[in-house]
Amino acid sequence: MRYKILSVDDSKTVRIIIKKAFKNYDCEILEAANVVEGLAIANKEPPDVILLDVTMPVMDGVEMLTKLKSDPNLKAIPVVMLTAEGGKDNVLKIAKIGVRDYIVKPFKEDVLVQKVGRIIDLKPITDAPAKNKSIFDPAKLLVVEDKPAILAQIQDGLKHTPWQVHGVATTGEAIDYCGANAVDLIMISLSLPEDAAFTLFRVLRTSLKTKYTPIFGLVVKTDNAAQQQAQQVGFTGIATKPLDLPDLEAKIARAMNLDTSERYFRVDGDLFVMRLPETCTPSVIAEVGNYLRGKVSDAVDSGIGRAVFDLHEVKRLDMQLIKLLLTAMQTCREVALQYTLVGSGPVVAECRGYEDTRGWQFHETIEEARQSFGKTAAPAA
Amino acid sequence: MPAIKDIPDAVFEETITRAVKEVFSTMLSQPARYVPLDHPEPESLELEHPHVVGTVGFIGAINGLIYLYMDVAFAQKCAANLLGISEEELAELGDEAVNDAIGELTNMTVGTFKNQLSDRGFPCRLTIPSILRGSRFRIEPISSATRRIYRFDIAGSGITADLLMQPGE
Repeated sequence: MRYKILSVDDSKTVRIIIKKAFKNYDCEILEAANVVEGLAIANKEPPDVILLDVTMPVMDGVEMLTKLKSDPNLKAIPVVMLTAEGGKDNVLKIAKIGVRDYIVKPFKEDVLVQKVGRIIDLKPITDAPAKNKSIFDPAKLLVVEDKPAILAQIQDGLKHTPWQVHGVATTGEAIDYCGANAVDLIMISLSLPEDAAFTLFRVLRTSLKTKYTPIFGLVVKTDNAAQQQAQQVGFTGIATKPLDLPDLEAKIARAMNLDTSERYFRVDGDLFVMRLPETCTPSVIAEVGNYLRGKVSDAVDSGIGRAVFDLHEVKRLDMQLIKLLLTAMQTCREVALQYTLVGSGPVVAECRGYEDTRGWQFHETIEEARQSFGKTAAPAA
Repeated sequence: MPAIKDIPDAVFEETITRAVKEVFSTMLSQPARYVPLDHPEPESLELEHPHVVGTVGFIGAINGLIYLYMDVAFAQKCAANLLGISEEELAELGDEAVNDAIGELTNMTVGTFKNQLSDRGFPCRLTIPSILRGSRFRIEPISSATRRIYRFDIAGSGITADLLMQPGE
């Protein structure tokens, strides 16, 4: 739904500033240069919010407000006064007639957007359909934690990622940072004094800039009460201390809706390569499994006819991993994609111990695997 | 309620300085600096170049008018900055866009000034803005009006606030 905001101001300059302020949000600005025009537009296509000046020629904003509030069809439209008339007496008089908010000129554009954003669910305009951000794209993470050791642990644990991890110790610093930066994910220690984490969470959710930003709670594993409270108020996720950094990284990637497929799948010349990491945790196997069919289809669609499953980093084989590889082989067979395996000594030896994997043939390098396709139709099968 | 003559000069100076600083920093991200005059109460303002002068009045416990003087080049810069467009784009829109922008800056400045007066016990209302343009004119107050003139430096350009006031209701 596209929201409509009606600006009633005799100054074209103010109407232009308002349009400029909302240009990055999915809303339509209707303009009226006087009260008569404003009432006509409000009747014809009722707006979701009216921004109303006070001092205007012929009929002023107070008269328009009075007319709006006495019209059964228009009285529910929220009105925000946007005026240089800011004396206490004037404000009180106008507030009594019924306004949702009052902004005194001069005003910052982001204050205006913020206040209107409290009335309607303003959403930033995005270039749809946007490509998902990749795990290799930079991102800004904010950690609100008063214990430097935890912050250092997170920064150290994520230093191999392209993410910039900024740490602050207080909620005030966090609000300032979020005001000045586009933050992709926020982690807040739930043990900040005086329930500050929950107060900060509420403040961040009322701000347009962080309304939809994923927010994690950092909490000691045994503090069930805090975890429960965080889930109830709507934290996106919980990370328990002591922190499991690989798990935290995976949670962050999921919360930011990052495309992690590039970690595991790539095209190398005429080969489609599925590379598995040193440690294949259940979440890694699930992640690879989720991408598998789509990635194989994309490869075939782009004219690739050969695949390599690269296990050279894998330290040990287990049943989950074997199942994933069998699924991958089956998927390749369904689309007539030839495949083979690359692997190191220990994994090759382990394969000999299982009935299902005993016949798998491994190559030592990708290049060797590439050469092998000329010799057999499906080398690993 | 005290009479205008009982209000110390320092109050007017502080009030208009705060208004000019707040408006120019909030709307144009430009800090303003108060520049004390050699002769605090000149008879009139002599203009050397073409100027744009915004004026807004206030009526109530005090009646008054405030004129904001700035030369045309600075007025164009302010207008372009306020509207978020280049000076070339502004030139295409013509003088009307500059007038409207300077009128609004004056409205905000006088509004901030008079809101402080209102909160000091002198409730007033604003009038709508108007614009004067030219280089060969001067504004002379009637004898019953109190006049105060203040200058400010904004990014190397000068603006002058000319305050004319007399007791109201």
